[in-house]
Amino acid sequence: MADWDSKSFRPSRRRRSSGSTRELLVKQAKPSPQLQALILDNGAYTIKVGYSKDEEPRLIPNCIMKAKSERKRLFVGKQIEECRDCSGLYFLLPCERGYITRWEVQKPVWDHVFSKNVCPIEDNPVILTQPLFNFKSIQDCIDEIFFEEYEVTNLFRCVPTDLAYLNYIRERNFNKRHACVIVDSGYSFTHIIPYINGSKFVRAIRRLNVGGKLLTNHLKDIISYRQYNVMEETYVINQVKEDTCYVSEDVKKELLEAAKPLSRNSIVRNYVLPDFNGIRRGFILDPNKTESEDSYQILRLNNERFIVPEILFHPSDIGMKSMGIAEAVVKSIMSCPIEQRESLSKSIILIGGNCKFPGFKERMYAELRSLLPDKWHVNVFQPDDAATYSWKGGNALLKSQDFRNNVVTKKDYDELGSMIIQERFNNFMFDYRELQTQSKPDRDQEKFKYLSKLKSGSIFGKSDVAISIENTKDQIKVDAEGENSNSGQSEKDELSVEDTGQDVGIVKRSVGRPGKTKEVVEVVQKDIKVPEEEEENLCESIDLFPFGTNSYL
Amino acid sequence: MTITKGAQRGSTRLKENEKLRVIDDVQRKRRQRKVMEMLESDNYHDDPHADLVMSKKVPKFEDNLEQRTNRNKKRERTVDYYQFKYRKNFQQLVDEDRLESEMKQRPSYMDIQCEESQLPARHFCAVCGFLGQYNCLSCGTRYCSIRCMETHVDTRCLKWAA
Repeated sequence: MADWDSKSFRPSRRRRSSGSTRELLVKQAKPSPQLQALILDNGAYTIKVGYSKDEEPRLIPNCIMKAKSERKRLFVGKQIEECRDCSGLYFLLPCERGYITRWEVQKPVWDHVFSKNVCPIEDNPVILTQPLFNFKSIQDCIDEIFFEEYEVTNLFRCVPTDLAYLNYIRERNFNKRHACVIVDSGYSFTHIIPYINGSKFVRAIRRLNVGGKLLTNHLKDIISYRQYNVMEETYVINQVKEDTCYVSEDVKKELLEAAKPLSRNSIVRNYVLPDFNGIRRGFILDPNKTESEDSYQILRLNNERFIVPEILFHPSDIGMKSMGIAEAVVKSIMSCPIEQRESLSKSIILIGGNCKFPGFKERMYAELRSLLPDKWHVNVFQPDDAATYSWKGGNALLKSQDFRNNVVTKKDYDELGSMIIQERFNNFMFDYRELQTQSKPDRDQEKFKYLSKLKSGSIFGKSDVAISIENTKDQIKVDAEGENSNSGQSEKDELSVEDTGQDVGIVKRSVGRPGKTKEVVEVVQKDIKVPEEEEENLCESIDLFPFGTNSYL
Repeated sequence: MTITKGAQRGSTRLKENEKLRVIDDVQRKRRQRKVMEMLESDNYHDDPHADLVMSKKVPKFEDNLEQRTNRNKKRERTVDYYQFKYRKNFQQLVDEDRLESEMKQRPSYMDIQCEESQLPARHFCAVCGFLGQYNCLSCGTRYCSIRCMETHVDTRCLKWAA
């Protein structure tokens, strides 16, 4: 079904929107012969690997572990199952912020994955996933390892969300121009990628530096502060997180519930920690049974259960300045062309391991519903197993015409060199046209402002005033239809800057004359910026913040 | 009733507070950065095998690659080869990416990062995790009650403050 026209993904020739629909109809008629392939979704923490004929992939930890109990052995990937005592595991992870930097770790793990008893390549074509904007030197190394070391015949590299997109449109029998937003929340980061006309809309892609690793480490930190010192037990606490954490629908209400005494508290859970003697994996103690065995080591979890995943929605809870996942999805949708926004909000797909928190989907829906214009349909879809959804899309890719058009053979690699084949991979489902038109400002959009009755206005006692913080550079713009009723009026901004350490001014809005709006905003901006700049200078120093202050503060 | 000059009334708590060491913004930011680094780290503890002298008994990873045995032996490379050839830290990679993206006129890794949030930050008590509306005077950490404040002052207040 998902047959793209071949030339659209080559950098040299660009697709004409009028021509491709006709071509699609022609190509659909051709039946595609069954191809077998090895699909490897190379997650930063878990590798999902299997042949295309398999129903489910195998999950293999993408790391080498060292145990305290077995001093002479390294545990590569799945071998950890042979380890008796998983306390105090030491992790060697190949990825740094999601990008492979430690080849001395990645290579042995791949060797393990492709070994005889796991998943040998055996001349199958290989579909490999890589993070968005994978760095060039990493791609060079991947190509070298796969073509020269493993001697694969065919290699195809793509972003995991591409596979998820293909899987989604095939499952639903949508046509390949279907617009959707994919939210991929993994171990190292969360990506928000809108797909328009079958390719990624580059300008609207967002990355949030919050992933499962950060959540686990945060949980580890607060448990260590409040109960036991578990700073060395990343492996166990990750399981605690998976078993007990959930996303609440209303944090304020949930906190009130959690504050109740134990007898009436529906949130508190006693978690039995593994002792690696009789209990290999911890579990939640049945709340109905009051008596428990003395040998159990109990970890009591109360508000930690929902405060930890809350970081995804409000990174400011741990002091990061970045916007939360729902806000970023809205931002991303609003950066897309005006005519696509409404259809984008109709299919928002949540994938990646973090989506497995119970209640995640419901919370996403609630937040998006309140942030997006009320005339739009909001539809959030989460597959049954969010972590393996991309892997399953490998099958859809295999059946598509693109696969055969874009796959790189060993011969190509030898003849063309890695530069050309990287172009081919990186341009797959990538729309460069819109980047060229970027310079022209969209005049229609500028007229409207987003009068947001943001849900957060009611958070923690500030409910009486509709508050929104404004930044001239990133004003959220809203579709004309949604805000037509407001276009007659305009807002006059009143400023009250608080001294309490908030760097950004808080702008209250009330109805006023249209002409004045801009001036006032500008004046306001100047007022705020002066103290800010003095302070920020230090933050911009590269020594202090090698990745820029945004990623930390 | 008159109050003599020497015996002015006042609270001992306020006097105590004056003695407090207040951490300035620069240090608070540095501290925040350390917390973020901790949250991004893979391990908290040191390598438990670091003091081990690796012997020959340790399995070599190349051992389990059977499929390659009948192929060209020249191609066989050790892990060190890749590590040496592609050794770059994350910062170098990001810098390279920025240069490349400028050439190709595409967004780079840094460009797609989320902007700052438009929503006000919420504050949670660092000790118990419930809403905390008060600031610690010396370090700015949030707490919710006198009890949590005391715990905080006794434990983490000046931790990480160089």
